[in-house]
Amino acid sequence: MTWIEFPFAAYGAMLLWLAGSLAGIASIRNRSFELPAKSLLWAGTMVMTVFLLLFWIEIDRPPLRTLGETRLWYATLIPLVGFLVEYRWKVKWLVYYCVALASLFLFINLLSPDVYDKALMPALQSVWFVPHVVVYLVGYVLLAASSAAAAHVLWKTGDGKLYPEGSRISHILALLGFVFLTFGLVFGALWAKEAWGHYWTWDPKETWALIAWLVYLGYLHANALQVKTRALQWYLVLGFLVLLVSWFGVNYLPSAQQSVHSYQT
Amino acid sequence: MVGKQHAAGMQRQGFVSGVFLSILLCVIGFSIEFMTGGGGVALPSWPGNLYLLLLMLSVIIPTALLFRESRFVQWLGGIPLGLCLIVAVAVLSMFGGVLPQEQGAVTGWMERLGFNRMFSSWPFSLVMLAFLGNIGLSLVWKCVPFRRANLQFILFHAGFWISMACGLLGSADLQRVIIPLYEGRSSSQGYLSSSKTMVELPFSIYLEDFIMEEYPPQLALYDPETMLLELDETNTVHQVTEGLAMSWPEGIHLKVLRYLPYAMMRPSGEPVAADHKAGVPYVFVEGQAGGRSFSSWLSTGSPYEDPLFVGLGEKLLVLVPGTAKKYSSRVRIDEPGGNGLLETVVDVNAPVSIGGWKLYQMGYDENAGRWSKQSLLEGVRDPWLPIVYAGFFMMLGGNFLFFWNGMKKTKVL
Repeated sequence: MTWIEFPFAAYGAMLLWLAGSLAGIASIRNRSFELPAKSLLWAGTMVMTVFLLLFWIEIDRPPLRTLGETRLWYATLIPLVGFLVEYRWKVKWLVYYCVALASLFLFINLLSPDVYDKALMPALQSVWFVPHVVVYLVGYVLLAASSAAAAHVLWKTGDGKLYPEGSRISHILALLGFVFLTFGLVFGALWAKEAWGHYWTWDPKETWALIAWLVYLGYLHANALQVKTRALQWYLVLGFLVLLVSWFGVNYLPSAQQSVHSYQT
Repeated sequence: MVGKQHAAGMQRQGFVSGVFLSILLCVIGFSIEFMTGGGGVALPSWPGNLYLLLLMLSVIIPTALLFRESRFVQWLGGIPLGLCLIVAVAVLSMFGGVLPQEQGAVTGWMERLGFNRMFSSWPFSLVMLAFLGNIGLSLVWKCVPFRRANLQFILFHAGFWISMACGLLGSADLQRVIIPLYEGRSSSQGYLSSSKTMVELPFSIYLEDFIMEEYPPQLALYDPETMLLELDETNTVHQVTEGLAMSWPEGIHLKVLRYLPYAMMRPSGEPVAADHKAGVPYVFVEGQAGGRSFSSWLSTGSPYEDPLFVGLGEKLLVLVPGTAKKYSSRVRIDEPGGNGLLETVVDVNAPVSIGGWKLYQMGYDENAGRWSKQSLLEGVRDPWLPIVYAGFFMMLGGNFLFFWNGMKKTKVL
């Protein structure tokens, strides 16, 4: 499986997720739709998981080099967060946000097809490659789910009602995401020392990773002060935008020309 | 109820004062930059930076312990101010993350205010100093008296404090030296990447061999007008193998019939396999372009040999050398009075330590590719590294406890 077959997997997964979401909406009125909804959502995720595994085997290196490849992981992992939250807290709504986000990132990949390239530059051939990138991806996935949960809370509390179950989910996901972001940041510094001679050089990607980390550090401190819930949920929704800059927006900034973090073909 | 309202009022007041102080520090910082013509902060090197660190500690620790009950000091070490300073650091970093951080990247008033050197500028340094003060005060309060429950807070915040303070102050002692080496020659000199001044190293390095492996070459169409290479219609970087078939939208189809990774051309026009030092990649392709058949040998060429390519209409079918897969330098390092002679290989992602320095494989003569006789190593000396790493590992420990305690508290686990 390569980028050539990617559109089939992507459209297949997106169709299954869409069908699962529609069945999910139908299940509000008729509970017999619950099982088909769940099965279809899982089936979409399985399509992406199988594609990712076959892609990894075909490409002969961890498919974590280009932004397109990281978006593949993202689209595969984020529905899993939704399933886990549903399993642990019996919260059903998050998974729909998650498959919508996953579809969005698959769609970005369809719009800007990646060049299929097996090559892995020497700087990336390191034991740090997989832990650093995977930890970051898991962090990004959790924080995206946290923003989605926060958006849901804002929607539900628009008329002044409280929704502590929802804000609890967005908080737990943000907390977990921050933990992964911290691991990713420090692993990145340790790797940079081995690869480039110094642990921190204010490379634009490093700077934006620090900004994203500071944003969530700010959230945790604001939460400790018990700042108003709605303000915090807005903060989490907007925090995701900074995360997107750190993930791929940084490539479009004027500072990107001096970045060593450019692994596109 | 009244107590709660009072606390909320205090908190609001704390935020207002925090915003005010953060803005004030930025204004003072930018004013200094403006008045000094954008010179930035020149941190003192050893032992000046150590004295500065000790001075910070000797202000923070007694202040925290002696004025613990003072409302002002409580605010200085409190979360509202910390939060404002986090935002200030993030906003200043955003300028540094958007604008290129190099000389000449911005002009006029932006240059004068130091926007192209944000991370050594006065506003950034003053805000960081205040941030370190804020964290430092809260750390002392969590350490004295010590309670086990505070361990996670202490590890995370102390780790952050140590790595930030020592990383920033220690940067004045960081030396990064580029060491050009040539095969069969020895060198004990390099030049500082910051100032380009020559530096004598406490050891000499003899380059025995520069070794490079490449990925297989790639076939592509070259458009001389746009000077761009076109991948095939599947947008794939194909690594050449025998039997590979490729097509381009211009109606070009081809198949690779033979592939010799290392070969030399015989006078008869038929290449023959050669050893990897002397040979270059050759492929024999057969195909059709615009309804007409063609077949030809193609080669990447080398600094000693012209490439072979085929003209197909307005475009050229070329064999592009594969990208670097691995490159390293086999060296002999002589450290007089130290460890003596060390034979080793310096590889990307695998630096070699010698006499307080770490040597990195940095680059090579890219025009010569795998025929490069030159290797660029980088020597890095960072005496503050162990303490910065201690900070990193404390942060990792604190982070793990944060995860564990957080999961327990929120009943996830």
